Amino acid sequence: MSNRVDLNLIRELEEFGLKDAGKCYNCGNCTAICDLSTPENPFPRKMVRYVQLGQKELILKSPEPWLCYYCGDCSIRCPREADPGETMMVLRRYLTSLYDWTGFSKRFYTSEKFEELAVGVIGGLVGLGMIIWAIANWSGINWAHADVSSVWSTEGIEKADLAMAGILSFFLLTNLYRCVKLVMGDYIKKVPLRMYWEEVKYLLVQFATQKQFDGCKTKGNRQRWIAHLAIMTGYASIFLLVVVFINGLPFMGIDVLKFQRGWASMGGRAEISIFNPLRLIGYYSFFAIMYGTTYVIISRLKKTQPQFKNTHSTDWMFLILLQATAITGIFINLGHIFDWVFFTYAIYVIHMMVAIPMLVLEVPFAKWAHLAYRPVVLMLMKVKGKFIAQQEQAKEAVLAPEVAV
Amino acid sequence: MDKKIGVYICTGCGIGEALDVEQLSNLAKSECHAALCRSHANLCGPEGSQLIKDDIANEGVNSLIIAACSQRVMYDVFDFEGTILDRVNFREQIAWTHPPKDEDTQMMAEDYLRMSGAKMSAMLPLEPFKPEQEMSTDILVIGGGVTGMTAALEAAKAGYNAVLVEQEADLGGFQKNVTKNVVFPFKDVQENEIAQLAASVKNNEKITVLTGSKVEKLAGGPCVFNATVKQNGTTSDHKIGAVVMAAGWKPYDPAKLDKRFGYGDSPNVVTNVQFEERAKAGKLTRPSDDRALKTVAFIQCAGQRDPKHLAYCSSICCFTALKQAIQVKQQDPKANVMVFYQEMRTPGQGEDFFRKAQSEGVIFVRAQAPEVLNVGGKLAVEAFDELLGDTILLDDVDLVVLATGMVPATAFGEDYKAKKPDDGEKKNEMVSSVDSIFISDILNLEYRQGPELPELKNGFPDSHFICFPYESRRTGIYPAGPVRRPMGVSNAIEDATGAAMKAIQCVELTSKGMAVHPRAGDQSYPEFFMQRCTQCKRCTEECPFGAINEDEKGNPLPQPTRCRRCGVCMGACPERIISFKNYSVAMIGDMIKSINVPDEYDEKPRILIFCCENDAMPALDMAGLRRMQYNSWVRVIPLRCLGSLNLVWIADSLSKGIDGIMLLGCRHGDNYQCHFIKGSELANIRLSKVSETLDRLALESDRVRFEEISITDYAKVPGLLDEFAEKLVEIGANPFKGF
Repeated sequence: MSNRVDLNLIRELEEFGLKDAGKCYNCGNCTAICDLSTPENPFPRKMVRYVQLGQKELILKSPEPWLCYYCGDCSIRCPREADPGETMMVLRRYLTSLYDWTGFSKRFYTSEKFEELAVGVIGGLVGLGMIIWAIANWSGINWAHADVSSVWSTEGIEKADLAMAGILSFFLLTNLYRCVKLVMGDYIKKVPLRMYWEEVKYLLVQFATQKQFDGCKTKGNRQRWIAHLAIMTGYASIFLLVVVFINGLPFMGIDVLKFQRGWASMGGRAEISIFNPLRLIGYYSFFAIMYGTTYVIISRLKKTQPQFKNTHSTDWMFLILLQATAITGIFINLGHIFDWVFFTYAIYVIHMMVAIPMLVLEVPFAKWAHLAYRPVVLMLMKVKGKFIAQQEQAKEAVLAPEVAV
Repeated sequence: MDKKIGVYICTGCGIGEALDVEQLSNLAKSECHAALCRSHANLCGPEGSQLIKDDIANEGVNSLIIAACSQRVMYDVFDFEGTILDRVNFREQIAWTHPPKDEDTQMMAEDYLRMSGAKMSAMLPLEPFKPEQEMSTDILVIGGGVTGMTAALEAAKAGYNAVLVEQEADLGGFQKNVTKNVVFPFKDVQENEIAQLAASVKNNEKITVLTGSKVEKLAGGPCVFNATVKQNGTTSDHKIGAVVMAAGWKPYDPAKLDKRFGYGDSPNVVTNVQFEERAKAGKLTRPSDDRALKTVAFIQCAGQRDPKHLAYCSSICCFTALKQAIQVKQQDPKANVMVFYQEMRTPGQGEDFFRKAQSEGVIFVRAQAPEVLNVGGKLAVEAFDELLGDTILLDDVDLVVLATGMVPATAFGEDYKAKKPDDGEKKNEMVSSVDSIFISDILNLEYRQGPELPELKNGFPDSHFICFPYESRRTGIYPAGPVRRPMGVSNAIEDATGAAMKAIQCVELTSKGMAVHPRAGDQSYPEFFMQRCTQCKRCTEECPFGAINEDEKGNPLPQPTRCRRCGVCMGACPERIISFKNYSVAMIGDMIKSINVPDEYDEKPRILIFCCENDAMPALDMAGLRRMQYNSWVRVIPLRCLGSLNLVWIADSLSKGIDGIMLLGCRHGDNYQCHFIKGSELANIRLSKVSETLDRLALESDRVRFEEISITDYAKVPGLLDEFAEKLVEIGANPFKGF
């Protein structure tokens, strides 16, 4: 069966930021120069050809976009200035939108207006909810000292957090499942579960360190990897503190980890000691996120490296929300330290209005979904590779006696 | 004219160190009938040439034997008006290739001097050919397309009158139906400027434009052509000097294409030519219902590079497809355009145009055999994309454009060979392969060998690309543009200019009684001693340029302005009645006889080399330049063309006691390199007859050998000669020695 050509795909991809793929004459220099391309999963040339020929089905099944970390070597070497690296980036956006069964992601990526509206509406709703909640609890508010938990009870926030995490996980995991199914194809039924289990460690290492990212040997890549790692670790640790441990783990009786404590529980102080490990982790997160995002923002403004030359509107939105989350977060901390009552409460509302849309939109539907897709696809490729090698070994074992004769 | 021979021996460049010049001087006087013999250390310097000039002025010397370097160098220095000249190659062929002061080297120099002496006594002063009729320098251009108009304009600009014959009612040819074209600098599609070109041709007073006309008859030869042109029922005669034939091309008949192209199955499958017609009519739409084009597929090489259809690449269809694809894209940037190609051929700066199409969003698919299908009543194209490694299907196609190729106007019509009545004569085994000439009704030549130009390959009347740029095998007729080989506008303009230049060279040289390329400037021409002619027709058959007509009885009617002076007729003639004033069967025979052949007991065999002046002799010179040493038994006689080799020379040599004979000629057959097209092939064919002669003389046929040598083969020459010498030693001495 021949592969149907859909020449409209190239125009569809233009909405995701595609520019120069049409210029490519398929010489393959990009694939040759790539440190991460392998004989089993060669890229980017193959992916560019898929784009040119409108091979939507083939793109959908391709793991390659997730194996690329956009060092930009291919775009520098490309004799046609077809920017293969950017094509890979566009395909990651495109795949994110295709994995998403709600169709929300596609609208988010292809319409700047929709993107701004979505962020605005969710932020607005969160703000409104916070204010209504505060009014409902008006009498309990501590106006003498900054105590966020007196306005919005820690238990309540925890419940809301859990509800949000549940919803987000639902979307992200269903999308991820689609990703796995598409990337594995027929193998999904053939490969025994045990083999996946064996690679969980690899998955976790990749998730935590992005070791594969450091596999690009391009000059300057290490700095990008460090900046990326800073953002990732910073956000992950503060996410753990603020969302998971906001109320400690009361059901297990562990109170030490409780991140948001009231005035009363701290014995008349607005903030826990500066030397408390929780506080130190919090500060690390702030500085790590600020370092990482500032590095990326400056790079994107300067456009000196290929991967920073083309910035999609969703990239800006991501960076702005991320930095705004970090800044408002540290302001809450300052409000508590200096005991600025109203300032603390107001900034808390703003913080929520930034951080929640960021999570709700970016994690299942946009750029942040790659936190799941990348390590999972890497693991799947490893599993698939091992499985195929086993099969071949088995085949050889059957054939071997004949050869010996 | 009474010859007073002066022999001049140069002692420079190592000749003096290699040879005993004193002894050679004595030999010149005693055996070459030289009135005087001088030597000089730098004969080509001002002092040396002054020496010769003084002798011409003071001593009355009128025949010069200059024994110095190769005749291929210093020809401008040793050019003395009113004298007969022979050059003896002491430098490349003796001093630089043989041990100095050696007995064999000295014997070689002596023999060459004797041979030159024999040649000198046989040579006669030249009288340039002057026909009885008045000579014309007007240039006839056949075809009023881009090529023809450019050629006429270029000839007019150079000061020559041109007659432009166009069969259609208007000038412009194929291009007048083309809206946009792609020419230098190949950055974008451009407006076609054919109308301006036509206007400037019409307004040029040196150009006579005859539209709606055709050449009914072309008789005569360069400078004495008589062209009978028929225009609107009336005929007129024109005296013509040379002809530029720009008869153009016709598109390949798409009905003959393979089924997979789907031509004829749907009105939406058109050829690139039909696309042009639609573009001209402003209808770049779906042919079946005039709807806007959404998806267009271009399929390249429709019948081209396919031995069943056109075996060659038409070279323009890639450009045309790119242009048409861009036209579709520029009409609607949202239209989907795919080009299926085998190889994208956009040579030189044309690559920029390929990039232009890519940047317009045209998608290219490399596929060897795309197929046009009908999927649910709609057109589709299925192809194996080599870059994807899989089959793709482009469906819902509104228009399929097939790139059909160019067929030269000369490829139509019956083959003259087939049509010629078989006169019942036994086919002459000595005759070389006969050229295909199609009766395409363009030139209507009154030539014995056929009415049109002979084809080189695939119906194109080209000549050898390297040896004869812009030429055909008919002197004074220069095909240009797509009739010569497939080409686009840019190349056609260049081609037309080149052909116009060739035509001008032709009329200039011919009107002075000189030969054209490759013996440009030669004032000799063949003369026929008709009393002894036996009407065997070998000369009229074998002339590579069809220069000789015939009367009803089969007598040759030579037309010297058509002749290129190769001497093939001289070699062919069994009666040896054809000779030039400075080149004849008897002359070469005398040269052979003048060679001193030592008797068997001296153990000095002799090898005679008949070598082609154009390729083999330069190769020998090159060997000399590289100071390669070769066998000292050889004696070289350069021939104008190996095709002028007369078999009697072989008999002469063998009866003289020469032990072996080698013929060095150019490559023949496909991709021939022969300057006279068939010379070396003819020599080879004639040689096959030699074995009979050898048997008659009770000699071994290994004594005569033919070798193909091109200039670049110089390094092979010494080995070839040594090997031949060894073989001759093995066979033993020629038993006729001393008779």
